[in-house]
Amino acid sequence: MIENTKCECGHQNRVGTVLCEACGKPLLEEETTGDLLEMRYDGVARRSQRVNPNIIDRIWNFFSSVKVAVYLIIITLIGAMFGTIFEQESNFIRFDPSTFYKDKYGTIGEIYYRLGLSHTYESWWFILLLVMIGASLVICSLDRVLPLYKALSKQKILKHMEFLTRQKVVYQGDIGLDGEHFVQQAVEPLRKRHYRVHTEGNALLAEKQRFSRWGPYVIHIGLIIFLLAVLFRGLPGLHMDEHYWFPEGEATRIPGTDYYLENERFTVEYYTEDEMSEDFKQTGKIVPKLYETKAILYKCVAGCQDPSKDPQLEEVARHPIQVNDPLVFEGLKAYQFDFDLTPKLRAVQPALVNTKTGESYGKFKLDMQNPQREYEAGPYKLTLHNKYMDFSLNEQGQPVSLSGQPNAPAFLFLIQGPELPAEGVQYLYFPKQIDKERFQQDAINRQLSGQEAIVTLDVQGMEDVDFIASSSYLNIRIDRAMPFVWLGLGIVMLGLILGFYWQHRRIWLRVDDGKLTLGGHTAKNWFGMRREVASFLAAMGVEADEKSLENRGKRP
Amino acid sequence: MGKARRPIQIVVLLLIVVLGGYAIGTAVFGGEAQKPVQGGTPPAFKLLGLDGEVHSLKDYKDQVVVLNFWATWCVYCVKEMPALQAQWEKWRDQGVVVLGINTGEDPVTVESFVRQTGVSFPILYDSDNTVTRDYGIVPMPTTFFVGRNGKISSIHQGELNLDTLDDQIRQLVNP
Repeated sequence: MIENTKCECGHQNRVGTVLCEACGKPLLEEETTGDLLEMRYDGVARRSQRVNPNIIDRIWNFFSSVKVAVYLIIITLIGAMFGTIFEQESNFIRFDPSTFYKDKYGTIGEIYYRLGLSHTYESWWFILLLVMIGASLVICSLDRVLPLYKALSKQKILKHMEFLTRQKVVYQGDIGLDGEHFVQQAVEPLRKRHYRVHTEGNALLAEKQRFSRWGPYVIHIGLIIFLLAVLFRGLPGLHMDEHYWFPEGEATRIPGTDYYLENERFTVEYYTEDEMSEDFKQTGKIVPKLYETKAILYKCVAGCQDPSKDPQLEEVARHPIQVNDPLVFEGLKAYQFDFDLTPKLRAVQPALVNTKTGESYGKFKLDMQNPQREYEAGPYKLTLHNKYMDFSLNEQGQPVSLSGQPNAPAFLFLIQGPELPAEGVQYLYFPKQIDKERFQQDAINRQLSGQEAIVTLDVQGMEDVDFIASSSYLNIRIDRAMPFVWLGLGIVMLGLILGFYWQHRRIWLRVDDGKLTLGGHTAKNWFGMRREVASFLAAMGVEADEKSLENRGKRP
Repeated sequence: MGKARRPIQIVVLLLIVVLGGYAIGTAVFGGEAQKPVQGGTPPAFKLLGLDGEVHSLKDYKDQVVVLNFWATWCVYCVKEMPALQAQWEKWRDQGVVVLGINTGEDPVTVESFVRQTGVSFPILYDSDNTVTRDYGIVPMPTTFFVGRNGKISSIHQGELNLDTLDDQIRQLVNP
């Protein structure tokens, strides 16, 4: 189909043009004469409207349709609803989704899990919908904003009579004045009302707050940034959401980062009986009042990637972490998540004691993790030969460790010194009293050395025992995409303000043989527009009632 | 003016396909670090060895690498040590390296174990279990066989005997 898109004013318009780009005359004959004009996009053709579309045009046209965009949004909303039926997998750590949903919700839960709805927001179809909305945002905007920009930046001043009389604000009346003179006089009152005024002989165009037309497109830019940030927060290094244990008093590396976090002290407080109501006391529940991890965050400044060197740490932040009050440092957040109050042995300070005389040769510090190899106590030299974290004897009667956990630590020393054979004697030491008895430390040592022990290791008091009193389980989060999310939302807000609080107002007028024809257009607040036109006309000495300016499109 | 727009359209659509494809791809295959699988690339590491040197996976590029995750308290790990030692001695001249990654024990324990068992292939300390976590080790021992192309050719969970080990290595040496 070949359309004649040439206007009577001589301007060659593009296919799909509704109002002549030059003079504004309606081009589509099916528009009944007398009806209000369709002013969207100033009547210019959208970019996608063209003859003989090929495959690329068809894809482009699909996404450029606002109708498609609305359907996409509705489908996405419905899809998002499915994710709210049962809890999502991402809410949990350490659980097995394949049995969880079935156990909790029965067959429905099983179906829910099988359909992949237990991770709705990470499923391919949901992401695809978001990508399509993004495509629609970009293409819709490009398709409209560029032609609109062109149309608005090269507006003709003299418009077709029909263009003016079919606006929503119209005035027609005899003024009995010379056209050019009237137009020149009209400039000042319009400028006073903050219009930019352009004149051309007997015609005038006044316009203000055109920038508000860009509001929707600014919103789209913001939404695109928002969507990109959401879709790409999974990029390496941008996002982390992990849970780790931090034993008290030890700077522990946060895996995958150069940060170390030390749980200086963990406290949990419970409500006392006095703080509870009588009713509540009956329930016998114990309610925690406070979980707090006094945390210090260190950044590794040297030797971080080299396992043969000790990392050099520099304190960068310090914060008492409480529930919903995380430690925050440069996008890294550490939230309180769980705790464990089981004490763990960190180190002991046993003294070497002469079994006969009871003489003590002094104490040394024995760490459970990475202990020193050699110790001196008086005239004696102790060499650490082996270490068992979870001591036991296997079928062959050999000492073994059952696990890596310090359940029953045992240390095998070689002791050299006075009254002992020159090559020394082996001595097995259990720091925990309970293990000493369970494994019969003395009997083992008698066997190892072949004689009664001359010296023995003994912890003399609780002050010589160092415990890790508790461990705090923290949720470490890094979300470097968040600033972009906020930026996107900020731009959206800016666009909303642009579009909501200002209106693009235009007034065209022409004087033909002493007869004034005025047309006015705005996007909203027609009441204000009519009022402004009426006050302008009054200033020009033309009496016009505000209401009479309203063109309802009912004229024949 | 229609002609000039075509390249813009193509660029915009291509960008959408590439970015969208990436977003959907990471959603489907998981953007977060995942357990290495057969045919995949083994996660890089840099660990201190028993010999005091720092060993990283890329030091053994173009070699057949047998990565064995073990601990002294793991009975089956201890049992398979002689087999690993024997195969290492057999194949080491043909560009095969066995790396024993100890999971979180300290030097006293590891050294005394090595002294007792006479193991001489490189033993590395994964003192904070980072690499063990990266490799998603659940049962021990777990052994990864990495071919000369740098890809994981197989993952073996549980004790290895001399013959399976020999088979696996032979396949990688003479593909």
